Amino acid sequence: MTAGLEGSPPGLSRRRFLESLGGMGGSALLLGGMSALGLGIESATAGPPALSGGGGRKIVILGAGVAGLTAAYELSRAGYDVTVLEARSFAGGRCQTARKGFTLTELGGETQTCDFDDGHYINHGPWRIPYHHHSTLHYTKEFNIPLEVFVNDNDASYVMYGKGKGPLAGKPLRKGQVAADIRGGAAEVLAKSVKQGALDQSMSAEDRERFLAYLVNEGYLDSDLAYRGTDGRGYDVLPGAGVSPGPGKASTPYAFQDVLNSGAWKTVRSVAGFEQQRTMFQPVGGMDQIAKGFEAKVGNLIRYSTVVKTLRQSDKGVEITYAGPDGQTGKLKADYCLCTIPLSVLRQMDIQASKPFKAAIGAVSYALVGKIGLQMKRRFWEEDHSIYGGHVYFDDPEILTMTLPSTGWQGRKGVIQGYYQFGAQAAKVSALSPAERQALASRAGDRVFPGYSDNIESSFSAAWHRIEHNLGGWAQWSDEARVSAYPVLCEPDGRLYLAGEHLSYLTGWQAGGIESAWQQITKLHARIQAEGGKA
Amino acid sequence: MIRTSWIASSALLLALTAGGAQAADGRTLYVENCAACHRPNGVGVPGAFPTLVGSKVVTGDPKATSRIVLEGRGGMPAFQGEMDDDEVAAALTYVRGSWGNKAKPVQTADVGAVRGKARREDARASLQAH
Repeated sequence: MTAGLEGSPPGLSRRRFLESLGGMGGSALLLGGMSALGLGIESATAGPPALSGGGGRKIVILGAGVAGLTAAYELSRAGYDVTVLEARSFAGGRCQTARKGFTLTELGGETQTCDFDDGHYINHGPWRIPYHHHSTLHYTKEFNIPLEVFVNDNDASYVMYGKGKGPLAGKPLRKGQVAADIRGGAAEVLAKSVKQGALDQSMSAEDRERFLAYLVNEGYLDSDLAYRGTDGRGYDVLPGAGVSPGPGKASTPYAFQDVLNSGAWKTVRSVAGFEQQRTMFQPVGGMDQIAKGFEAKVGNLIRYSTVVKTLRQSDKGVEITYAGPDGQTGKLKADYCLCTIPLSVLRQMDIQASKPFKAAIGAVSYALVGKIGLQMKRRFWEEDHSIYGGHVYFDDPEILTMTLPSTGWQGRKGVIQGYYQFGAQAAKVSALSPAERQALASRAGDRVFPGYSDNIESSFSAAWHRIEHNLGGWAQWSDEARVSAYPVLCEPDGRLYLAGEHLSYLTGWQAGGIESAWQQITKLHARIQAEGGKA
Repeated sequence: MIRTSWIASSALLLALTAGGAQAADGRTLYVENCAACHRPNGVGVPGAFPTLVGSKVVTGDPKATSRIVLEGRGGMPAFQGEMDDDEVAAALTYVRGSWGNKAKPVQTADVGAVRGKARREDARASLQAH
């Protein structure tokens, strides 16, 4: 291979060249420093607004998801008279955990009842908390919800690229081996090009030496600038005691060309994406512990199994009609309404709002998302493959990831998340029966782990676009709608305020719902205070 | 977030039976891609997924209908990365001629005429989302 720097203009000054090379890292470092000072771009609000003096004003909250629960908790503490209407028989919204006895009937689908063993579960909704989601972590701390680390990156796990080319295509490869070999190979190519004079015009001798030192360090290169593998990619014979195995036997790297052709390098990047931090958390026992934490505080304010039918408003207040648990229609009046119902559902409801507001509600699309949990007889990924948590990346778009549980280490059984697909693929998979979905997941699993399908004891799947009261995984704003519609919905329409992950730039994350609620109740409180706060 | 172009055309794997009528292919495409929400008989789910039976959106201008399939709308995903022009035309022709619908077939050229003008953001096609 030849030097890959044809793109750098010959006349580029040394300083400009270094600056342009350094630009990304430089700004990332700067941002990292800013975050450390609390000025960064991560979930921006670390704590709830300090509100007081609600004076018994009546607030009706529609939806007991994470946003609605947040608002109910903070507003009731501030002295407001809060009622929450929740369509389901339990709180949490999408913050759900399927364990033994949990039932789900997708629209037009058959009823599934989760039959996992006691102690096993699948978080078919939100399942991870990045360490920088301060708002979610605020409540896990406040409610004393124990957390455990969610392994979001595991070098020992497999990458499975069936659509690649060459001898490595369609073989499960250890992610760390892919990373070592593609980066080692790339560093070698670049280092040798530098040595051959590729950058003599654009870099001083001193800078070239530093750059070479960096490449040697980055790629684990030998002193002759060749990459011959490194211990981090593992051993053919593990080192141990005595003379044998003694030092063990080093592994042999894959050929650079083969790794390139495999496409598996698409899973390897310099740093994890902001939302895909390598360190994440999950509540011990299931994500719904967060919902239960809120419920312990504000469960008495929630009317369950109560489906909102209409919303009317005037300059005096709001009026909600609903169908209660007994099927009877009821009416509820309040001073203000905070509605956290997903826009995918709200757009089809009979609500009184201005024309532009309604048009804005219709301007967002919702993600189609599917997941399946598979209870395995035996933790073969740990016992046979030494993989403890993390994801198997699979380039079949109906699978995408298989995720190994970050709980119950070395236990007897475990629940693998067998697929996590989106969009049109999620539409397609959701057309399958639960048994067919399990069959799809098991066929894919057998390509990575021999005996995968034989270990499956039961499964539970969810297709969020087919789940009543949600009709989608999360809001997906187009750039255009972010400009035209989103700001409209962030402001109240008369006495109607909206909140939820859909009104954040953390769409699909619980932190988005919480921070949206914080923002909206702050506005609502300020307005009521300005009115004199009188009941 | 990692964005990859993994939207591979698995719909292409559908075997098109040699000499088979377009209606039959269209039915298979419909069942695999559309029926989860719009139901096998096209009636949808009230309050969630619109019916395709007697729908003016379905039976109207072939180009406008094709655009919805390509770009998605509301909770409906974009199929432009999943189905080629022939397949979109076949699926729509099936829908426009089934369950009492009596609209003329959609031509491959109708779909081609609106493909590439797609505006809506793609579904988040990443290694993982949340």
